[in-house]
Amino acid sequence: MEKILTKKSFSKWVKKLESYKIYAPVKNDDLWNYEIIDIPESIQPDYPNTVLSPKKIIFPQREIFLEFKASNEEGLEVKEILPEERPAIIFGVRPCDARALTLTDNVFKGDFEDPYYWKRRNQTILIGLTCNIPPSFDCFCLSVGGSPHSKDGLDILMTDLEDKYYIESLTKKGNQLINLAKDCFEEPKVMDKKDLEKIQANSEIQIKRQIKDIKKIPKKLKGMFDTPFWDKESLSCIQCGICTYLCPTCHCFDINDEVASSAPLKGKRVRTWDNCQFPDFTMHSSGHNPRPDKASRLRQRILHKFQYFVELYENFQCVGCGRCISKCPVGIDIIEVLDKVRDYGL
Amino acid sequence: MVKVEDIKKEAKRILKEGKVKYIIGYKKSTNGLMSVPAFIESPEDVENLIWDPTCVYNLTRFLVDEKRRKAREKNPDERPVGIVVKGCDSRAIIVLLQEKFINRENIYVLGISCETTGVLDEKKLLKKLNGKKAEKVEYDEKDNFIITTLDGKSKVPADEILAERCLECRANFPVINDILFGEKVDRKLDNRFKSLEKIESLSKEKRWGFWKEQLDKCIRCYACRSVCPMCYCDECVVDTINFAVTADTTAEEKAQRIKWVEKSPTTSENFVYHFVRAIHLAGRCIDCGECERVCPMDIPLRFLNKKMEKEAKELFDYDAGFDPDQPSLVSCFKDEDPEDFIR
Amino acid sequence: MDYNVYIPKLAKIIEIKEEVGGSRPIKSFRTHFINKNDFSHRCGQSAMISVLGKGESMISISSSPLVKDYLQFSILKMGRVTTALHEMQVGNVIGIRGPYGNGFPIEEWKGKNLVFIGGGIGLAPIWSVLNTALGKREDYGDLILIYGARTSKDLVFNDELKELKKKITVFLSVDVEEEGWKEFVGFVPQNVTDKKPSPKNSITVTCGPPIMIKFVIKALKDLGFEDEQIYTTVENKMKCGIGKCGRCNIGKHYVCKDGPVYSWAQLKNLPQEY
Repeated sequence: MEKILTKKSFSKWVKKLESYKIYAPVKNDDLWNYEIIDIPESIQPDYPNTVLSPKKIIFPQREIFLEFKASNEEGLEVKEILPEERPAIIFGVRPCDARALTLTDNVFKGDFEDPYYWKRRNQTILIGLTCNIPPSFDCFCLSVGGSPHSKDGLDILMTDLEDKYYIESLTKKGNQLINLAKDCFEEPKVMDKKDLEKIQANSEIQIKRQIKDIKKIPKKLKGMFDTPFWDKESLSCIQCGICTYLCPTCHCFDINDEVASSAPLKGKRVRTWDNCQFPDFTMHSSGHNPRPDKASRLRQRILHKFQYFVELYENFQCVGCGRCISKCPVGIDIIEVLDKVRDYGL
Repeated sequence: MVKVEDIKKEAKRILKEGKVKYIIGYKKSTNGLMSVPAFIESPEDVENLIWDPTCVYNLTRFLVDEKRRKAREKNPDERPVGIVVKGCDSRAIIVLLQEKFINRENIYVLGISCETTGVLDEKKLLKKLNGKKAEKVEYDEKDNFIITTLDGKSKVPADEILAERCLECRANFPVINDILFGEKVDRKLDNRFKSLEKIESLSKEKRWGFWKEQLDKCIRCYACRSVCPMCYCDECVVDTINFAVTADTTAEEKAQRIKWVEKSPTTSENFVYHFVRAIHLAGRCIDCGECERVCPMDIPLRFLNKKMEKEAKELFDYDAGFDPDQPSLVSCFKDEDPEDFIR
Repeated sequence: MDYNVYIPKLAKIIEIKEEVGGSRPIKSFRTHFINKNDFSHRCGQSAMISVLGKGESMISISSSPLVKDYLQFSILKMGRVTTALHEMQVGNVIGIRGPYGNGFPIEEWKGKNLVFIGGGIGLAPIWSVLNTALGKREDYGDLILIYGARTSKDLVFNDELKELKKKITVFLSVDVEEEGWKEFVGFVPQNVTDKKPSPKNSITVTCGPPIMIKFVIKALKDLGFEDEQIYTTVENKMKCGIGKCGRCNIGKHYVCKDGPVYSWAQLKNLPQEY
């Protein structure tokens, strides 16, 4: 379904969506992030990238799995805690971040479906916004199969045409939202469609960064496991969790018991984000660590994204949002690393 | 500003003569304006070295890596490591020496005086340029930065985009060095704790509210800890497992390790993490500002450490990172110390 | 989705046996689910054991799938969770989720001789497959067990081993000389070289510490075993057990889900990250 929504009608539409929990990018001090908002008057089309992607809503940093307590009958009682049942809408999703969720879906489905992830995923509607201008200097979505107007994973894609939005509804869920306020929308004219095509074509030209010949990289990486390349590339890495926590596709986690009282026993089992750059991530109880240094941990990050994930799901585990580059405390640039991988030994 | 050619000349010499095994310095990044840490191993690579207002990093943090790497090597290269330091960074070396974490003979210090200027705050610059990309930033020696963007050049007063710490700098000149670049220039500083005034003026409740809001943002990426040259402990209290496990570590020892902080980024856990860190840095932090710079969530961490610095000064007349022979604040006491519990 | 993969099923400890004492103690726990459920495992699979309040640990199931009365876990005291387990009494309740992993392809091994090679606690996963082969004795050829530990006191399933000797060939070893020990003295790989099991129509299953596995494989290769005849298990740090939390991978393989059983033909092509 394709529609036109004037900027004036935008808030009228949003008011009709009251029953949903609504998230949109919000600026606090100088930082943009997705927050729950009451009335999203208007989405600013030129906001830079949010620090965290909508991953933080679908796969929150802390998820309570279950509660446990001592009980007289069986000695122990375990209660499953599932996320609250409440449909949500995320406005202003960058196309890359929506694509990221389609990649993460692969991990959380399969033989063992993750009930927490899917509960949140299924009750969330993603409304994207075309990146008319790149939200970051380090965007490289085109290199990894995305684009500034990619529709993957979105329910609706909005494109800013100055005084109005071009609305492309892509799923049943999207259609439903539009049908809730039919009178807010107009039919697109031929001119609108032309404007849309122009803007979307132009949005691609503005992506300046790219990884050339990326298709060669997975195979190349396969032969580079035991090379000194990783020692050199990781010299400046400080082993923080920024690249992975900010990455919209990184999904690694930890599970821990948080005890409120030890006698009588009472507590929660929670999932929290974890990441492959922390030394304790793979350390055995014995003290043995299969990834003992930062070279092996940087290698894991790159290989997971550009080799293992490709072998498993035929897609890079990267959407080119550029967060890991922009926010790396020591300027490690994944594009540069991959360029070097491609040219290694040539 | 010091000319990079002078630094290159010396770097080339010490590498050629085999005086150092490598040099930690700055080079240009591949993704824009800011510099990145460089590890220069051969005289040919010296050409990559740069020195400009984007050289923000406190490179002494990499001395911690160097020490660990060396400990793992069977036949380590015993030559010193060359390291480029600014005045503030040089104070970190003093603390590491004072705490005997590094030895003087293991480092060759290329000290650079910031003279009349300092380094940029990238976030301030980005704001100043309204999101436009800077290509180059130069110092005009008259308290201005000349910024080149695609639209041309513009002049900005240095104070507007200098890093906060540079505005309160008390060590624009390296405290320790093997070779020195630049002049010692005295700079006027009315109040070294000026940035604290606003937050100190708040009521207790308001301050609590401020810190709760700030620390609730924390995603526990531990970048502040990872970038800090003083956070070199083998095991950190916030880690849930023992790192220093040997074959002799018993199961009980591992099982009894207390989880002081949960991994959950909740208010209480975030407070414990940041306050434990702040207290462990009291009398050790030399205000390089790296923790605040790297924070992806823009938490004003420097306030915490600055406040501890102020406490150390006011209570014990203690200044960190100027004298390697001075006993460290938290491991000594004096008769005139204000609290009498230790006597 | 009516079933939550992360919720453990509660089970009561019905029997605890001290296998090994000293500073690296091992205990065997037999457990019984409190509520009836469809838990059924294959040889070589593992389960996530919960001590609520302490956490979870991936432990291999040492009882045979042929045994229906209980699940058995033989556990070396190593960290937070296993220490808590060692402090437990009969009647205490733990959580179990699983079973996880691929298990041994014992159906493919029908008609073959099976050579089991174990070191220390590594006998636990072997125990499951060995007892299954014993239970279906007519399906397999010769069964041989080569097993060793640091000292005779560190051998697990001591009583059962005595019984086992009456049924199949068992070669035991201890690492260093001790009084009264009449069998082989030396490391397990040396015992393998010494006993020279025949590669003819045989499959070997090796479990134990990584360094032992490495040298056993070398010894087996020297004896003429093909890569496809050599099976072993890999161990890595695990949290979810279902291939999602991201820490136990070697290459694209998640050891929890795709392992822990690998033939040497598979394993030698994977990164050495275990």
